[in-house]
Amino acid sequence: MWIVAGLLAAAGICAATEIPSMVGHKKDLWVFSVLLVLAIALCIAVTQKVPVPNPLDGIAAIFRPIGKLMIRMFE
Amino acid sequence: MTLDNGKINARQLNVLVFLYTIGTTVLVIPAGLASAAKQDAWLGGLAGIVIGVIVLGLYIALWRRYPGQTFVGICEAVLGRWLGTLLSIVFVLYSLIGAATVLFYVGNFYNINFLPRTPFLCITALFATIVVMGVRLGLETIARTTELMLPWFLILFVILVATLAPSIEADRIRPVFETGWRHILWAGFTFSETAFMPIVFLFAVFPKVDDGARAWKGMYITALAGGLCVVLVSLLCILILGPDITSRNMFPSYALVKKISIGNFFQRIEAALAGMWFITTYIKTTFYFYGWVTSLSEILKLKNYRSITLPCGFILVALSVVVYPDVVYMQEWDTVVYPPYIWAFCVAVPVLLWLAGLLRKRS
Repeated sequence: MWIVAGLLAAAGICAATEIPSMVGHKKDLWVFSVLLVLAIALCIAVTQKVPVPNPLDGIAAIFRPIGKLMIRMFE
Repeated sequence: MTLDNGKINARQLNVLVFLYTIGTTVLVIPAGLASAAKQDAWLGGLAGIVIGVIVLGLYIALWRRYPGQTFVGICEAVLGRWLGTLLSIVFVLYSLIGAATVLFYVGNFYNINFLPRTPFLCITALFATIVVMGVRLGLETIARTTELMLPWFLILFVILVATLAPSIEADRIRPVFETGWRHILWAGFTFSETAFMPIVFLFAVFPKVDDGARAWKGMYITALAGGLCVVLVSLLCILILGPDITSRNMFPSYALVKKISIGNFFQRIEAALAGMWFITTYIKTTFYFYGWVTSLSEILKLKNYRSITLPCGFILVALSVVVYPDVVYMQEWDTVVYPPYIWAFCVAVPVLLWLAGLLRKRS
């Protein structure tokens, strides 16, 4: 619980320090907000041990067969 | 569009390439080399340097064809708006994964060796904080930092080699060339995949170099020097620890430093020497992160990349926990999946871009 509160506070500090420099640049503000929400959601999920899909699993699904072939060629 | 007005000179880029080549590589690669080529690990390293210089030549050829363009810019110039953006997004994902995995290595190393009771997340969060700080201050600041760090790195490296030299047992590298060229070549691939191919992420930095012609020559020399430093460390691992212990250790060069003992008095200096890895992995993580953040803001055409560094830093820390659930997963992924993964993007894509550029020019 404290971790979540701390993360939200950190997000608040981030927003407070960054937003003044982005006034007038709508796109920057949008990208920043989306990324910040995504980042904090991800951090909360990780600290609360919610399973997060691992991008390396996706990469492995594509490249593992090729990798095994490469290893067999050089063994 | 001016995302980062900072300019760096050729010397700064060369120092950067030197430390970037050594980063993480020196800590983990002796194990990879030794498990692939046993006592011929150092030959594998030399083969890796040859492959690495060819790969570097490819990057420099691409850079010379498109001076003043980042990777995102090159993709758009060659493939047009849509396909170029698609490939740029792949570049962003690669640098994101690169940064997160290197950060995992840092956290793992410190968690195992120095701070076993500190939560993993705290170590990576602290490390990511200085990375984000560096990137927010801009390229010029990071480049000058690398220049400041270079003498420290060299001092530590000289101490390492000089204090280990007395414990060398030359018998351990014999029989030379026992494993055969296949294993040595595979070891060479492993080496160049970790040391030289990630240089592609420095394409975010190349357009900021103000005298390219001088930097090209210097890059070959410094990348070569960086590679030789790592080969020297691998050779010391083989000569002192032997191929079996080297291949079984997760951080063989750290185990090697623990061996330093002069007159039973000058010993246990491994924590001081870990500063060497701290410096180089910092450079590596920073430039993966820099590549990621600047490319993302170039794709989205943001006014300033600095505004997204803080959220990206949070994502980086969270991902560093997610990418490798455990060390077994890490070992398997790094030996089986990583080679084709890195070849596809760091060799095949630049070759295609370069060829497409050639064809465009002719037609």
